[in-house]
This record gives sequence, C-alpha cells and structure tokens, in this order.
Amino acid sequence: MAQKRIELPQGTLDLLILRTLALEPQHGWAISERIQQISSDVLLIQQGSLYPALHRLERRGWIKAKWGTSENNRRAKYYELTKTGRKQLELEKDTWKKLATAVAQILETA
Amino acid sequence: MFNDLLFRLRSLFRRDAVESEADAELRFHFDQQVEKYLNSGLTREEAMRRTRLEFGGHEQLKEEIRDARGVNLIETLVQDIRYGLRILGRTPMISSVAVLSLALGIGANTAIFSLIDTVMLRMLPVEKPDELTQVRIQDPRSPNDEADPTFTNPLWEELRNRQDFYSGIFAWNLTQFDLAQGGAVRDVNGMFASGEYFRTLGIRPAAGRLITSEDDKRGCSGVAVLSYGFWQDHFGGAESAVGSTLSLDNHIFHVIGVSAPGFFGLEVGNKFDVAVPVCAAEIFDGPKSRLDGRSWWWLNVAGRSKLDVSPEQLKARLAVVSPLVFRAALPQDWETKDQQAFLKRSFEPTAAATGTSYLRQQFTRPLHILMGVVGLVLLITCANIASLMLARASARHKEIAVRKALGASRARLIRQLLTECVLLSTAGAMFGMLFARWGSSLLVRYISTRDNTVFLDLSFDWRILSFAAGVAVFTGILFGVLPAFRSTRVSLTSAMKGSQATDIESRARFRPGRWIVASQVALSLVLLVASGLFLRSLVKLVTMDVGFDRNNVLIVRANLHNLKVAPEQQPRMFDEIESRLRTLPGVVSASRSVMTPVSNYVWNSDLEVDAPNAPTGDAALAFFNFVSPGYLGTVRTPLLAGRNFNEGDTETAPRIAIVNETLARKFFPNGDALGKYFRIHADPGKPEPPIQIVGLAKDAKYGSLREEAHATAYFPIAQVTEPVEEQVFELRTAMRPSALVPSVEEAVGSVSKAVPLEFHTLAEQVADSLVQERLLATLSTFFGALALSLAMIGLYGALSYLVAQRQREFGIRMALGAPRDSILRLVMRDVVIVLAGGLTVGAGLALATVGVLQKMLFGLAPHDAFTFIAAIGVLSAVAVVAGYMPARRATRVDPMVALRYE
Repeated sequence: MAQKRIELPQGTLDLLILRTLALEPQHGWAISERIQQISSDVLLIQQGSLYPALHRLERRGWIKAKWGTSENNRRAKYYELTKTGRKQLELEKDTWKKLATAVAQILETA
Repeated sequence: MFNDLLFRLRSLFRRDAVESEADAELRFHFDQQVEKYLNSGLTREEAMRRTRLEFGGHEQLKEEIRDARGVNLIETLVQDIRYGLRILGRTPMISSVAVLSLALGIGANTAIFSLIDTVMLRMLPVEKPDELTQVRIQDPRSPNDEADPTFTNPLWEELRNRQDFYSGIFAWNLTQFDLAQGGAVRDVNGMFASGEYFRTLGIRPAAGRLITSEDDKRGCSGVAVLSYGFWQDHFGGAESAVGSTLSLDNHIFHVIGVSAPGFFGLEVGNKFDVAVPVCAAEIFDGPKSRLDGRSWWWLNVAGRSKLDVSPEQLKARLAVVSPLVFRAALPQDWETKDQQAFLKRSFEPTAAATGTSYLRQQFTRPLHILMGVVGLVLLITCANIASLMLARASARHKEIAVRKALGASRARLIRQLLTECVLLSTAGAMFGMLFARWGSSLLVRYISTRDNTVFLDLSFDWRILSFAAGVAVFTGILFGVLPAFRSTRVSLTSAMKGSQATDIESRARFRPGRWIVASQVALSLVLLVASGLFLRSLVKLVTMDVGFDRNNVLIVRANLHNLKVAPEQQPRMFDEIESRLRTLPGVVSASRSVMTPVSNYVWNSDLEVDAPNAPTGDAALAFFNFVSPGYLGTVRTPLLAGRNFNEGDTETAPRIAIVNETLARKFFPNGDALGKYFRIHADPGKPEPPIQIVGLAKDAKYGSLREEAHATAYFPIAQVTEPVEEQVFELRTAMRPSALVPSVEEAVGSVSKAVPLEFHTLAEQVADSLVQERLLATLSTFFGALALSLAMIGLYGALSYLVAQRQREFGIRMALGAPRDSILRLVMRDVVIVLAGGLTVGAGLALATVGVLQKMLFGLAPHDAFTFIAAIGVLSAVAVVAGYMPARRATRVDPMVALRYE
C-alpha cells in the first residue's frame, strides 16, 4: 500500500481541496478521505499539511468555515467554497491542465 | 490586503477561541480516524496508536496552523515590544541617558530641518502656488547676476496695462507703518498691495472685504485690510474692527476687511499686519509721490499666467513686451548711457511657488552648515548608544546563550535586539519633536533683529514628520545593528560552561567598541574645529577696532515728514532738538547725523579730483555722512589732523569735508590731502561746487563689520546736498543708554509732540549686523560641547566595560608581581591608541571639509592652525581624563578578590 502513494507537488493540495469542496461543504477528515478514495488510495493527505492548508485558504478568503454537525452527530468544522474560491478553482484548474498537457507532451515527444 | 490584516488581527485578538477551535477540529479528525480503523477491524489500542503516529506532534501542528493563519508575525512583534520594554526598564539609567541624548540629537536635526523646510521648501499657503511666477528684470550688462525683482511704479503700471497673458498680475511692497501719532514709534508690518493681489492669490476675507482693483486707483482714499493675526491681537477679533479707522504714519485709513487666517504674504520670514492699496503711497508722499518716481525702485511683481500660456510662451511674450514697457517708463533725468542700458533690460519670469525670501539668501548657507553640524551630533549620539548597547549586550551574554540553546534562531534574537533599539529611538524621536518645537522657535527668535522680526509658520508638515520618523528608524538601526550581530554570535559551549569569557575573547569583543569610540573622537574633532573657527571669527569681529566706540551710545531716529513744517524750517527744528538733548542730565555729548555706522543704509557717490591719475569708475566711489560738529567726538572716531566742524560751517559758508584715511590715500596718494579740493560727480547741467578737505579722520566701518574700510567723507550737516526729513541723534551717555529714553521723549516733546521717535543703542545696531555669525558660533559651540561630553561618556563607558572584563587578568598580573603603574599603563595605552586613531582620522576629515566654511569666516583661514591645535588639545585632555578614571579603578583590583571570583 505504501509504495503506491505519491508525494503531492507544491501547491497541488490547494487545488485538490478546492475541487473537493466544490461539490459540497465538508469537514477536514472527510476532505482527506474523499481525496484518498477518488485517487484510489494513491494520494494520502497528512493532517500535518491538510490543516495548515485549510487555514491558509481561509485566510485568503477562498473558503470559509462554520461549525456544524457530522453524520455521527458530533460538532465538526465544515469548510465551504466562497465566490472568490470558486473563481480561483477555475483558474487553478486551467493552469493545472495546461501544465499537465505540456508535461505530457514533453514526456512523449522528447 | 486589508481583509488579510483583519483576519490576522481577529486571529490575534480572539486567540483563545481560535486555539480551542483548532483543538476541537483536530480532536474531531483524530476521533474520526480512530473510528475508521476500528471499523476496519483493529483493536482500539492499535487504532489509537496508528492514528497518533500519523498525526505527529499535536503542538507542532497547531503552531503550523497559527503560522498559516498569520498570527505569529504580529504576535512575536507584540512579544518583542513587551519584552524590550521590560529589558529597557531594567536599566533605567542607561535607557534614559540613551533616550535623552537621542531626543537631543533627533530634536536638533528636526529643528534645523524644519527651518530649512519653512524657509526654502514649503509652498505658499495660497491657491495653486505652483502656477505663480515672479517677474524679474534682467540687465544685459550683468547677465550672470540674478535678475532684480524690484520695479518702479511706472514700470509696474506699464507692464500691467500692456500684457494680456496673465489671468492675474499684481505688485506689492513690504514696509513699516507707525501706528503712533508722534513720540515713540509703534511700527507694524505694512504692505502696499495692488488691486489684483488678493484675487490672484485666491485669498478670501475672514471679515469684511479685501482690496480690489476699484480700491487701487490714482487719487484713492485710504482703505486698509488687516491680517488675521493682527486682527486677533489688536482688535481681539471683534467684528467692529471692520469700519473702524487706523492711523498709519499719521494718516487716517478705513479698515475694510480682514484676510484669511494662515495667510502671511508672499515673503517667507516676513508677515504683513496691515495692507493698503499701492495708490495709497500718494497719501503718505504727497503730490510728488513714488507713484511717478521713475528711479524709485520699491515694488515686487508676480502673477498667474493664463491657462493656455505655457512657461515658454510666457517667457517669450514677456520678452516681446519688455522694450515697450521700458521705453514708456524711461527715467528722463538719467544720463544718456544709463538710459541706453535701461532700454536694453528685459522681464523674466521666475517660479514663485515657495514665495520670495531675503532669509533664503542670508541663511541658506548657515542653515546647511548647521544641518551638517547637527547631523554629526546625531552620528556621535548613535555611536555613543551603540557602545552602551554593546556593553549591555555583553552583560546579557548568558541570557542570549540560553535562549539560543532553547532553540531561538539567530534571526529571531537579532530581531528582538533591534526591536529594543527602535523602541529607544522612537521614544527619542517623540521627545525630540517636543525639543524641535521649542528649538526652532528659539532659533527664529535668535535670528530676529530689532528692525526685522522674523515670522515663520513653524507648524509641522508631512515633510518634517517624515523626516523625524526617517531619522528615528535610521538611527535605531544604525546604533542597533552592530551590537545585535555581535552579541548574538555566542559560542554556546563557553557560555554554558558558565565561565566568564576568556581574556582573549574579551579583548576581541572590545574591538568594535574601540572602533566606535575612535569614530566618536574623529567626529567630535570635526565639530570642535568648526565651532572653534566660528567662535574665533566672531571674537575677531567683536573685538576688532571698528573706528568708533559702540558702548553707551543711544541712537534716536527722528522723522519730521508728517509735521506741517516747511522744509526750510526743518534744519532749525533739528538744531533746536539737538541743543536740548545736549543739556540733558546723563548725556556726555550729543550730535546728529544723516547716517549711523553699520546701519544698513548707504549714501554714496563718485568723487572727482584734479589730478593726473585720479581714480575713475568704481574706484572713485566714496561713502558720505552729514554730521553736526559733535559727531566724531560722540561716536569717538578720532580726528587725526586738521580741524573739526564748528558753528561757522553753515549752509552758506564755503563747502568743506573731513575725510577718512582710506579716502585720503586713494585720491591723494602723496599724503597731502589736507587743504585739497574735490567735487561730487555731477549730473549733467548741475555743476557741483569744489569741496575743501579740512580734516582727516581715522577709518571707521561704514556698512558692515566685515568690509574693508570704505573711502568716507563727512560733511557739515548744514551743508547737506538735499533735504533729509529723517535724521539721527547720537547721545553718549554716562549711564545705561536705554534709561535716557523717557527724558529724550520729554525733551523732543517740548519742541514738538508730533515727532515720531525710534530708539536703540549703537551696540544693538552693531550686534544686529552679526546675526549669522553669532548664530553659527553659538550653536556650533553648544553642539561642540555636547559632542565633547558624549565622546567623554562613550570613552568612559567603553573603558569601564573593558576594565571589568579584564579584571581577572589584572588580578593575575598583580598576583604575579606586576606594579600598579604597569596596569595603569596597560589601560592608558588603549586610550592613547583609540585617541590617536580618532584624532588622525578626524583631522583628515576636518581638513577635507572645513573649506565649505570659508565664506562664513572672518579674519582667519579654514585651515587655521591655532584652531586645529586647540581642538586637538581639548579633545585629548578630555579623553585622557575620561580614560584615567577607569584605568585607576583597574589598579585598585584586589588580586585575591579577582581570583576568588572564579
């Protein structure tokens, strides 16, 4: 299991968090779970990078936090995308796609 | 950006809430993860263990979250400041000495800068000052001279009427008006202002209305506008002031309004109290007024050009209009060659946004020199505090080592130490602003003279505030950086061993301290040399033989202009007054004259003698005075040969003169001036009679103390070449001159009560001519003394510190049998090395820079050897005394105590 996991490149975590939250508001644990599931366990987000990232995004005003109740009836901090966050997501998605295409092109032709 | 700051601040102020929220959030995550593992079949214990492993350090994660929220930057700053204040409070003596000397240094800099700002940089408080241009007259005969700003009224009127490129153009002239109706004068600052003056400048009335073009017409009645300040001081700001009357030089004027607060006129350093229209000159002068005087230069002209006229166009159009204006205002009675030159003159626009100022010419150089002086003082202050900080930082050696061992980064420690320094300099700057406030108004009072009360709006503007803030930060960093870097370079092991630094280390640590003290000595020497030069110049000026005795002479200026006395009767009236003054008790002798020495007034003309090689042109110029027989005796200018004037030298008697040595030497090089004749250069068609020299007087200063003696001729006052309505009485007194004022008033009043009188002493008159010199000498001496004491404190502090550090070494040396003398020599050797280094560099610096003082000195060269030697001597003496005290302490070290201390 451990061999399959990949270290996230700088800045990608922000994109993934934003993308995850685009569906619905989530708390931190659910975010990391979802990323892990969708990536078929390739990406595992450490708490040590998840929470600083969440608070940084909150400071930038891309997401906002509010307290809610979780599925198992516990108080949990939910994050949701703000309007600027949504714009930022589109922007980063574009950038990522361009980057990915470029890298792929180089890998295949060069 | 702003949101970001808000977020950080919220994080900071709701710190506890944010902290517990983070805790709760992490706990939730932890529990979820544990549950997940439980569901996948692990035991609770195993699930907990694995989750904990994944989580890593809880506190560490929280710190990272805090960083992400941006709490830390602000929080550590607050922490640093709080800690810094506590540290500074722990050594109150050192801290208050530091703050005080910084306050003095920053304050002095701000004070001088605020004068430079108000005199030279600040825009006028009028509407769109940068659109204003002053019109000056360029004379093609002297293209290098600055264009002359003074106009005659005909020139002004012709220019005003012939131009169409100004949206507003106006003329003005500052003068004095006497409010009193006879007796001791009560002068106010008066101004003639043409009709467009206030409108063009965009000044609004605070009450009533201002002068308009309607008020400024030939034959106008007397109206006056008050300045806001004068209205407040003189009328208490009462509405009833508008519509009341004022007596100006004994003429009645109706007050029509008050100008806006804050407006002082266009001349920085002067203000107006009462403004009257230009046409009112006729009221003062009578029918042959200066309004038609084609050689009477008195007005200044400025304007605001029309919006579609560019600066280049303005220049071109003024050049086009010039010949027409000068032809129309040509003085008819001038000689042909002067008329030709007059017609070639042309108008030139110059920027007037910062107004005009005689202060600027007079004080630009002294203010720049003073700025340099106070800059040096500030550097010395910084050096002083740096060495204090260095000594204190070494005392905190252990504390810093402990903090470092606990994991503080060096950058973090340096930030902490720099914060302390900036705290000090900020406190210094705040007190410095108070000091600057007081200092700059003191300076303004200092440069004011009897004739000329300097008025400056010294309120702080953004430029001064940012200057002070900049200086504070700069100094804080300057004196903070070196100690901060040095003291954070600790070797953990030696510090942890708890031993005092070894001797070699401590000597190495003293090295920067030594540099600092040496540079203080160098800078102090430069200051001392400068102040020595200024002081010696002033002493030379004050003690020089000026050819008259200024002490115990009262000068009484009397003006008969406003009396209804026929001009032919005036001399008799002056005679009458003089004879009454002569018999007053307390008067040793009395006289009267047209001029007094060093008075800012001159009367001169070219002389002609019948000799083959007679001087011509500028060399033929001589300076005149018309005096009563008692004059030379009263001012004590010795008569060297020939006879004095007497009662027989009347208006109708043969024309005679007493000349000074310089005139005699210049015009009669054979030394036989006595009995010879000369003529005053005559205007065409008005031949002058020959004048016989009957006496030879010693040279005396005429216009200023700095000048070489001028060729001077004294004539009997009865033979004055044109009527003079204002004459001056000199009274040599047996008592304090000012004590005579009441009896003089009474004596003059017994002749006529309507005569305006102005009193001052000859000594005051001479002193007023030395304002610049005294300003420089006093201030540079003050700052020189300050620098000297700072250097002394610095040296004393640095050496005391060194001695304390080497106490153990001295103890060992003495235990091994070193005599006390050798210990003393050891310490004093350091003093001498530092001193010699500092003096060498300082002397070099001084030699390289004193050249700029040349123009401000009198009677000595900037490289004056005596001054240099004296400065070096004083500084060395002070340094040796400052160094000797700690050195003596070193010899008193008890070897037993020093060694047991380990």
